[in-house]
Amino acid sequence: MVLLINIILNGLLLGGIYAVTAVGLSLQYGVARILNIAHGEYIMVGAFLTWLVHTKFGVNPLLCLAVAGPAMFILGYLVQTFLFRKLKEKTPTPAEFEGSSMLMAFGILFVIQSIAIFLWGTNIEGYSYLAYSIYLGDIRLSVNRLVILIAALAICLLFYLLLTRTRTGKAIRAASQDPDAAALMGININRMLALCFALGAMMAGFAGMLISLVYQLQTNMGMQYTIIAIIVVVLGGLGSIPGSLIGGFLLGILGAIVNSIEPGLHMAAYYLLFMILLLVKPSGIFGR
Amino acid sequence: MRKKSLLLFLIACLALALVFTGCAGNSNNSNNNNNGKALEDKDKLVFGGARSLSGPLAIQDESCFGPVYRMWIDEVNERGGIYVEEYGKKLPIELKLYDDTSDMNTMITLLEKSMVEDKVDFLLAPISTAFLHAAAPICNEHGYLLIGAEGGAKELEPLMAGLPYFFSLLNYATHQVDPFVEMLAEHGIENAAIIFIADQHGIEYSGDLVPRLTMAGIDVVFSRSIPLGTKDMTALLEEAKAKNVQALLCCAYPDENFAVFTQCMEVGYNPDVIIFGPGICLEVFPQIFGVEATHGVMGWGAWNEKSSPAMADLAKRLTEHQGGNRNVDWWGQAIYYAGLEILEQAIEKAGTIDHSVLKDVIATETFDTVIGKVWFENGGVPAECYPGQVGQWQNGIFEVVAPSDKATAAPLIPKPPWPTQ
Amino acid sequence: MDNNNKLKKIIGPVILVLILAFMISLPLFAQNYTIILLRTILMYVALTLSWVLFSGFTGYTSLATAVFYGTGLYTAGVLNGVLPLPLLMLCSGLISAVLALIIGTITLRLRGIYFAIFTLSSVELIKHVLNWYEINVLGVRGHYVTRVDYGTVYYILLAIVVLILITTYLIKRSRYGLALSGIKSCEEAAVHTGVNATALKVLLFALSAFFIGMTGTVMATGMLYVDSIIAFNLNYSFFPTLMAIFGGMSSMFGPIIGATVFAYLQEYLITRSPDAYMFIFGLVMIITILYLPDGLVGLYVRIRELLLQKAIPQIRRKISGGKHANTAS
Repeated sequence: MVLLINIILNGLLLGGIYAVTAVGLSLQYGVARILNIAHGEYIMVGAFLTWLVHTKFGVNPLLCLAVAGPAMFILGYLVQTFLFRKLKEKTPTPAEFEGSSMLMAFGILFVIQSIAIFLWGTNIEGYSYLAYSIYLGDIRLSVNRLVILIAALAICLLFYLLLTRTRTGKAIRAASQDPDAAALMGININRMLALCFALGAMMAGFAGMLISLVYQLQTNMGMQYTIIAIIVVVLGGLGSIPGSLIGGFLLGILGAIVNSIEPGLHMAAYYLLFMILLLVKPSGIFGR
Repeated sequence: MRKKSLLLFLIACLALALVFTGCAGNSNNSNNNNNGKALEDKDKLVFGGARSLSGPLAIQDESCFGPVYRMWIDEVNERGGIYVEEYGKKLPIELKLYDDTSDMNTMITLLEKSMVEDKVDFLLAPISTAFLHAAAPICNEHGYLLIGAEGGAKELEPLMAGLPYFFSLLNYATHQVDPFVEMLAEHGIENAAIIFIADQHGIEYSGDLVPRLTMAGIDVVFSRSIPLGTKDMTALLEEAKAKNVQALLCCAYPDENFAVFTQCMEVGYNPDVIIFGPGICLEVFPQIFGVEATHGVMGWGAWNEKSSPAMADLAKRLTEHQGGNRNVDWWGQAIYYAGLEILEQAIEKAGTIDHSVLKDVIATETFDTVIGKVWFENGGVPAECYPGQVGQWQNGIFEVVAPSDKATAAPLIPKPPWPTQ
Repeated sequence: MDNNNKLKKIIGPVILVLILAFMISLPLFAQNYTIILLRTILMYVALTLSWVLFSGFTGYTSLATAVFYGTGLYTAGVLNGVLPLPLLMLCSGLISAVLALIIGTITLRLRGIYFAIFTLSSVELIKHVLNWYEINVLGVRGHYVTRVDYGTVYYILLAIVVLILITTYLIKRSRYGLALSGIKSCEEAAVHTGVNATALKVLLFALSAFFIGMTGTVMATGMLYVDSIIAFNLNYSFFPTLMAIFGGMSSMFGPIIGATVFAYLQEYLITRSPDAYMFIFGLVMIITILYLPDGLVGLYVRIRELLLQKAIPQIRRKISGGKHANTAS
């Protein structure tokens, strides 16, 4: 029983990271219809910025979200206004835009990664932060992962409130549900899309910051997080923020369970469960 | 109608192909490198090859062999080059490397380009065991010397006799496991657990470790594989902790090794002996985690500044060459450097850059290198040539702890506890 | 006017014949490395054309190319020395096709992005399961593949490309082509007209997988060593897709041009400036997609239009103005 609780707790702690990596992508796809293959690169840059600020200036890594978040926000805003918006104007049908935006995201992935390799090399980097556990009876909690879980929940909650309670958030949601009607209501769609893409990138920056607390960094690490994020997003339902959260936790718990039985197959188990779920309920857990 | 036109179409193609062929005549060019022809004058030696400058393998170019060949080439050129008798002068080195993006097909294509089109004089080995497996036969076919770097391809050993142009430089698992198990037995370790990466490297080490541990009377509690890219190993570590496993042997790559290391601290699992595969031997390891946390952690290797004055000088030069960044690999870099020295000495001894002569020189002669006297037996380096097989971080220095005749410090067993937060 | 049309009809096949004849005779006078490089380019052309054979016809974005390509590579490794190359190719082609039948059948319900992501995960699933099986059950990793000389590989690949082209052409011309274009524009409507759209779709998926699997096996003979991680590489899912979009899918030549230019550009950049390769490559991708939304073929169409509408009439006017000023029509 204790073992089971430990496993599930561990999965929950891991799931927090998965959730944050996915929320940004979910927003970008849900509103802007961009399957951002370069999402992991934003995570990587966020992680490296955190590492840089922490090791060079000794700032608490959690506070580095004040650096990683805004930096990624600006990057995302620029990418949307100068690249994806122009692309959208040129590709009339949504299906075409989905294909060509993926190609463009791939190009962005290459550019960001090459700049990162130029700046930070290909070596492994990292730092150690709160690497110990506290015990509640027999139940073990890793402190750094607990911090991540709390931070992840807080970030997601704030983000959710931003989307549901503020005027801007409502405009974003209106734009995602019916762009034409929203435009008629006087919402500046292009500004909303840019904002949305920027917010997604900012979430990736936060995710990078959280990842750097527990895992080591490499400039080529982006793709693995992109794939995890895509899986979580689809699992939770494209465009649904609570869905991404639940999807992340689900993936985390599943990973922890398989890991305790046969660690050699836990990656395979991720994909297998995901594929089965996709077959049973293609629109995801929270999909419409 | 359609079939007819298709047939007509194909016939036309073939006919035209024949015409083209006729026009082309016998302009087939031969592809043998530098033998058979009269000696042309040379003013430089070109070193080529395909290395992974991007992609998952790129970390090895930056932290392992990369800094060594770059420094060596600069050093040789400062001396004016390598003296080649048949040209009667010193020839400086020019580097012409390609990025294989960590992709097998690209690596082979570019390696062929280096040999067939660029006709480079020498090749640098590609990264990783799997790539060496593919590169060795191709280079052999073209008559190009290949001195292996990152990658201990033990599986190649039985094929070695058929690959006279390939020389394997790095320690095999067999070299390292024996002194390690001996050391464990000496210190009364009773049980061990193995975590290995689902890769050539993992199989080789776990495959060697299990029988030898059992023979030495050490109980193997579990031996589990983890897939590449695994992030969370806490379940395995908790299991080891619950079963009071005294020695944790993690045969994985830097990513997984570093994760296991931090997660051991997280779980609060402090075995008497903890050893890791590549990555732990890098100077980056204590730089990331601090001297205190890494105290007592073992890794394969090893050499350090205390091994010999020549190696101390090498470490100093490597640091200087990287602009003061002490990016040193305490497992392979001295050995890679020795490999380059062997090539240089072989060229000077043979007085030629004809690879068919050089291969015999390298196979038979003994060379005086930074790690001492080195010679090859059946394409590999015998165990006694290495400066050390097992290392342990002690107060920020990667001490050689086994075999005992090469040790620079006594092994610290049991390992001191993790630092308290 | 009639003459002009006839000329247009003939010009296409004539150019094709010339190109093909040139390709067939190339190994006899080209340098060795050209053949090695063309081998890679032809591989990408074959993969891209196979991808278009399914995705271009049906509108489903498949990212399963790496599954079938990897199956080809891996089969070559496992069955190396057991079967001669032609049989081996057939065998791995069939295994790939069967895999495609399975994947195709179970994903009937999925559309759009879901299909793409399902196929993407299947690459990773197969890779990890095979890897685990290799390590824990077989206790080995990796298989050697007997080398086949590059000239032979080149011809086999060329034959595969021609085969795919002919297949595509025949399907396009047949009544199935019409049915498939029905699927693409509106699947439900196609079903109502009595076309067994799903069966057609799955069969086409298997056909495309068959070609991809064969290509994989041929390429394995140049790689000498294959294991599950090397074989099932996600790049081989993304690259053909990108190449097809890059070239433009409105014409059969688009994917060929796209794959050729893309692969050659990659090789050119890697060898000329290995440090800046990724950066330039990424920039080229971004610029292409921004300014050439219809791919390279779109560029060709635009240039031709420009020429036909402006330049040529101008030249004609000049000529007619100079020579036959009096007999202007």
